[in-house]
Amino acid sequence: MGREAILKSIKNNKPDLLSIPEIDVTQFTEEVNLIEVFKNNVNLVGGNIKEVDPQDIDVEIKKMYPNAEKIVSVADECSLGTVQISGKTDPHELNSIDLAIIKGSLGVAENGAVWISENEIVVRALPFITNDLVIVLPKDQLYLHLLHAYEIIGKRERRFGLFLSGPSKTADIEQCLVIGAQGAISLTVILI
Amino acid sequence: MSHAKQAEIFNKNEAKVNWHDKALWYVREKRDNSAHNVKGWEHLRDSASGIKAHVLSNLDEYLIQFEQNALQNGIKVHWASDAEEHNTIIHEILKDHKAEKVVKSKSMLTEECHLNPYLEEKGIEVIDTDLGERIVQLAKEPPSHIVLPAIHKTKEEVDVLFQEHLGTKASQGDPEYLTNAARKHLRGKFLNADVAITGVNFAVADTGGFVVCTNEGNADMGAHLAKVHIACMGIEKIIPKEGHLGIFLRLLARSATGQPITTYSSHFNKPTEGKEIHIVIVDNGRTEQLSREDFRASLHCIRCGACMNTCPIYRRSGGHSYDATIPGPIGSILSPGKDLKKHSSLPFASTLCGSCSNVCPVKINIHEQLYKWRQIIVKEQPQPVVKKSILKMTGTVFSKPGLYSFIGKSARFALKYAPKSLIYSKLNAWGKARDLPEVKNENFDDWYKKRSKNNG
Repeated sequence: MGREAILKSIKNNKPDLLSIPEIDVTQFTEEVNLIEVFKNNVNLVGGNIKEVDPQDIDVEIKKMYPNAEKIVSVADECSLGTVQISGKTDPHELNSIDLAIIKGSLGVAENGAVWISENEIVVRALPFITNDLVIVLPKDQLYLHLLHAYEIIGKRERRFGLFLSGPSKTADIEQCLVIGAQGAISLTVILI
Repeated sequence: MSHAKQAEIFNKNEAKVNWHDKALWYVREKRDNSAHNVKGWEHLRDSASGIKAHVLSNLDEYLIQFEQNALQNGIKVHWASDAEEHNTIIHEILKDHKAEKVVKSKSMLTEECHLNPYLEEKGIEVIDTDLGERIVQLAKEPPSHIVLPAIHKTKEEVDVLFQEHLGTKASQGDPEYLTNAARKHLRGKFLNADVAITGVNFAVADTGGFVVCTNEGNADMGAHLAKVHIACMGIEKIIPKEGHLGIFLRLLARSATGQPITTYSSHFNKPTEGKEIHIVIVDNGRTEQLSREDFRASLHCIRCGACMNTCPIYRRSGGHSYDATIPGPIGSILSPGKDLKKHSSLPFASTLCGSCSNVCPVKINIHEQLYKWRQIIVKEQPQPVVKKSILKMTGTVFSKPGLYSFIGKSARFALKYAPKSLIYSKLNAWGKARDLPEVKNENFDDWYKKRSKNNG
């Protein structure tokens, strides 16, 4: 069978043990304005970003997505939800969702990515299957680069999670960038 | 057919070749801009290369650790020595679930194992869901690039293809319209799929989890809707710790397309309640490559495609000319290890300029390995008579200064006075698309002697 044969073959063919390199994280340190860099990068990857007062969240989202009817909100700060979901919801039912509003745990300044864990989205398919996506993110949860971000999320309970950077996109037809491939066709990050 | 012959076919359409060349160079430039924006970029590359080298030296232990942790998390783990075992394992899983419809996101490994035709023969529908892969699947072609699978197709060609298969209207190749049509078509496939198959970008030994990166969201659409998710990985995808993703994810997308990170970097650790995740760990020639000291580092590859975008040969010969699952410079050092005879022309499809090694995020010495494969191939594979005789004659000429000077003079005389039909005859491959240089009366030797005399 495969397993024993593969492991044996590796044992016979691998080189002598090489040490694992030391990573000097200080080489990546930069004095930057995290909020500014993060905002620039969210725009760069095709997303929208806004700093909003927590009590104005509903008004702002309504302004941006006036036609959204079927709305799932799993962020406590927002009360626009019209469709309720739970861990038992069949993800296929979410195909008609116009807008999902979710909470992000942390943002990464260098690439505009937001870490989203399963707890925050309830149903794994939600941030992909929804037409438009809004992420509410506390602005004191921004980190410079991914190495730092992994230190923070290292303590989580591991089920499913992702770094999400911008809306779904493709350039597979003659290298022309088109926003809205198979996942959400727009992304707005709301910093609070 | 040799790479040169295949490249000739691609070069029949000069306008398309020029576009292909420029489009890929533009991607290379985006990579540069993106890389230069990262403080400590070289330290990232050094670290990534060192981590990969370390992993290969302890690969069996890391695979065992990975398996243990994955099993603990409720993931099912399978091992396949070769493509056939890989395909059989997947078919068995499909049979267990009476699955008829499969959606697949990009995985070079399943291409390498020819999974699609295998499953289709068993009556299973397999839909590639990455837009570029769907395009080449409809065209019944293999991908020509590992990150940009349909880079060889014009938008007009895609337009015609979609009219035929997706019932779109003629749009003169409007990318937005065509992408939107594909989105609707694929949405239906995602909603009806029984099983989703994805590749694996990184498998983490100390957590038993794995990461899949896409820009389109197709891997996630498939994996979160279907009841069963099968992830296929080569043994070399292992990294020791989750924190190391901080190194690799910073390098991957920047090297591939110049993006700071892919849109979705999804971390799978446990299946949703009531669903299954399977991992298939595949060897298929990798442990053999591990045994070759000179070529071992080719297993560092994280499949970013940067070496293709920068390669002057790839850009002007197209991915299909390599006739291999992985084209371009990295493919040219991986493929001969699998089938030396079939792929013996690939290590010669290079100028050895070294640009591939310079952009490689995990610092594979690609151009040096190309040169090393050449040494082996020349010894083991019969070489064309013309090449052999010319090299022999050249050797003799270089060893005899008098003869060298005579030949030089004769060549300059011939270039000046011989008829064009003779100079640009079939024997002169260099003259096929180029003019030979204008002949000066003086050669370097004469010029040097005169100069010494004047200065002395």
